[in-house]
Amino acid sequence: MKVRFWGVRGSIPAPGPETNRYGGNTSCVSITTATGGLVIIDMGTGLMHLGATLMASAFGKGAGRAAILLSHTHWDHIQGLGFFPPVFVPGNEITLWGPGGSDHVLEGILEGQMDPNFSPLQTLKNFSASFEIRAVQVGVPFEVQGLTVTARLHPHGGTSALAFRLEEAGRVFVYASDVGYADGVPDAESIAFYRGADVLLHDTTYKPEDQATRRNRGFSAYDEACAAARAAGVGRLVTFHYDQDYTDDDVDGIVASCRALLAGTAIEVVPAREGDELAI
Amino acid sequence: MVIRFWGVRGSIPVPGRATNRYGGNTSCVEVRPKGEPPIIIDAGTGIRKLGKLLLEESFGDGRGKASILISHTHWDHVQGLPFFSPLYRAGNEVHVFARERDVHLEAVFSQQHDAPYFPVPLSAMHATMQFHGVSEGASFDIGRAKVTSARLNHPSVAIAYRVDADGASVVYCSDTAPFSDMILAHEFVERPPSGILPLALLEELAEMRAGVVALAKNADLLIYDTQFTPEEYKKQPHWGHSRPDDAIEIAMAAGAKRLCLYHHAPMRSDDANDAILAGTRAAAQAAGARFEVMSAYEGLEVTVGDA
Ligand SMILES: [Zn+2]
Ligand SMILES: [Zn+2]
Ligand SMILES: [Zn+2]
Repeated sequence: MKVRFWGVRGSIPAPGPETNRYGGNTSCVSITTATGGLVIIDMGTGLMHLGATLMASAFGKGAGRAAILLSHTHWDHIQGLGFFPPVFVPGNEITLWGPGGSDHVLEGILEGQMDPNFSPLQTLKNFSASFEIRAVQVGVPFEVQGLTVTARLHPHGGTSALAFRLEEAGRVFVYASDVGYADGVPDAESIAFYRGADVLLHDTTYKPEDQATRRNRGFSAYDEACAAARAAGVGRLVTFHYDQDYTDDDVDGIVASCRALLAGTAIEVVPAREGDELAI
Repeated sequence: MVIRFWGVRGSIPVPGRATNRYGGNTSCVEVRPKGEPPIIIDAGTGIRKLGKLLLEESFGDGRGKASILISHTHWDHVQGLPFFSPLYRAGNEVHVFARERDVHLEAVFSQQHDAPYFPVPLSAMHATMQFHGVSEGASFDIGRAKVTSARLNHPSVAIAYRVDADGASVVYCSDTAPFSDMILAHEFVERPPSGILPLALLEELAEMRAGVVALAKNADLLIYDTQFTPEEYKKQPHWGHSRPDDAIEIAMAAGAKRLCLYHHAPMRSDDANDAILAGTRAAAQAAGARFEVMSAYEGLEVTVGDA
C-alpha cells in the first residue's frame, strides 16, 4: 500500500503562510494498493487536489474506479465532494462506504450538502459518474479494491466516527481520526483494533494543554495518540488532523513531543504532511 | 468608512504556497463606517480570523454588535459562520441579512449546524442572533449606514449590496454571471445554453443589469465577481460568474471610482492573479475608463470618504 496525504487539518481549512509546510486542507488520504486499486479515506478539501491529479489518469476518460471510506459526515470530512472532478465524468464508478443506520440514511445526509440553498449542484443525482453509497457494518470485514477493510465505531464528542483497518498481503494500515477516548485513555478494544498495524494514523488534534479545556469536543491530544501507539505495538505512528489554529511551528512541536514520548520504543513518528507519500 | 478583505476566494478555500499573497479563504469583507459596529458582507472562511480580532473589541466581553449581509447561502459565502467566535459569547448581538425565501432563514442557517455536519447546534450559540429576510431591491438602515440591494444573475439568486456612510459608498457585487447570455435562478442548468434567447428573457436581463448599474452609480468602490477568464466563461457560462471585462463594462456604465476584482477562482495562483490584474488595468485604460483597478487580497484595506 502507498498512502498519500492530501489534507491533514481538522475542522476548517486553514490557508496562510503559517500552514504552508504541513498544509491547510481538511482531511483526505489516498491509498494505492499493490494491484493499482484506489481507496480514498475522507473527503475534506484535500479531495479537490487529489481529484485534479486523478483527471490525468483513467478518471479523466471515464474509466476510473475508486472506493471512498468515510469516517463521519462532519464538514471537514465531506466538503471536498462537490469539487472532486471524477464525479462529473460519465463512466467513472465510485463506491462510498460510510457510517449510518442504512445506505438511505447516509445518502440523505450527503444529499444535505448539495441542497440548492447551499450548492449549485442541487443534488447528488447531478453527478455524472456512478456514485454508490453504502452504509458500513461495523466489525464485519468487507473487500474494497482488493483490500480487506474492518471498521470500528469510535466516540467523537457528542457523536461517533469510524476508524478503518486496511489489510493487504499481511500489511496493515489503520486510520483513526476524530477520536475522543473517555477520560483520554485509549480503551482495550481500540488497542486491539490497532494491534500489529504497520502504520497507525491517529488523531493528534491537540496539545495536552489545549485538550484540558476541550475534552468534550471529541478529539485526541498527541500524548493519547502516543499511548495508543505504544500499547498496540505499532510500527509507525502518523500524526494527523491538526487544529486549525496551529501553525507549522506548533505542529513541529507536536511531532517532536511524540518522538520524545516514544523514545526508547521501536515506533517511528511520521507527521502527515500534504503531498507526502508513505510506503507500507 | 474602511473596507477590509478577509476572504477573496470563490467556491472553496485553497490553502497552500500558491495562494499566500492573495489568500485562500472564501468570501468575507468587513465594512466599517466611522465609529460604528462592523457590517460584514458574506461569511466565508475569512470570517474566522475577523471573528478572533473582534474578540479584542467589545465582542470579547459580550457587548458587541455586528451585522452580516449574506449575498447568497452557497457554501463559500456561509461556511465560516460556525467558526465566528463572537457567536459563542452571550450578550453579543448579531444580525444576519439574507434573501427571503420560502423557508424561514433561521431554518436554512441552522441546517449548517445539524448534528451530522457540525458538533454545535445553532441554538447552542450563546450570542443573540436575529435573521432578517431581504427582498431583491430592498433598502434599510444599519446604524448611520444606508444599505441598498439589487438582484444578481446566479444559481439560486444572489444579492448585491451597497453601503452608504461617511459621505462615501461601497458596492459588493458577487456572485453574478454577465447579463447577456442566460438567466440563472432556481432551475438547475446542466450545460451551456444553445440558440438565441427569447426576447422576454433578454428584457429581464437588461432590467437586472440596469438594477446593478443603478446600485453601483458613482460608487467609491465597486467589488465585483471576476472568477472567470474569457476562455473559462465560454465553457461554463451557466456557473454564474463574470469576467474582468464584464466588471469594467458595469463599472464604466455606473461611473464607479474604483474597481476591485474579487471572488478569485480556487485554482488561480498568485502569479495568475497578478497577470489578470495587469491585463484588466490595460483593458480598462484602453476602454477609456477613468477608475482605478485593484485586485482583492486578504488584508487589503481601502478607505473611502471619512474614516
Ligand atoms: Zn474532523
Ligand atoms: Zn461564491
Ligand atoms: Zn455562488
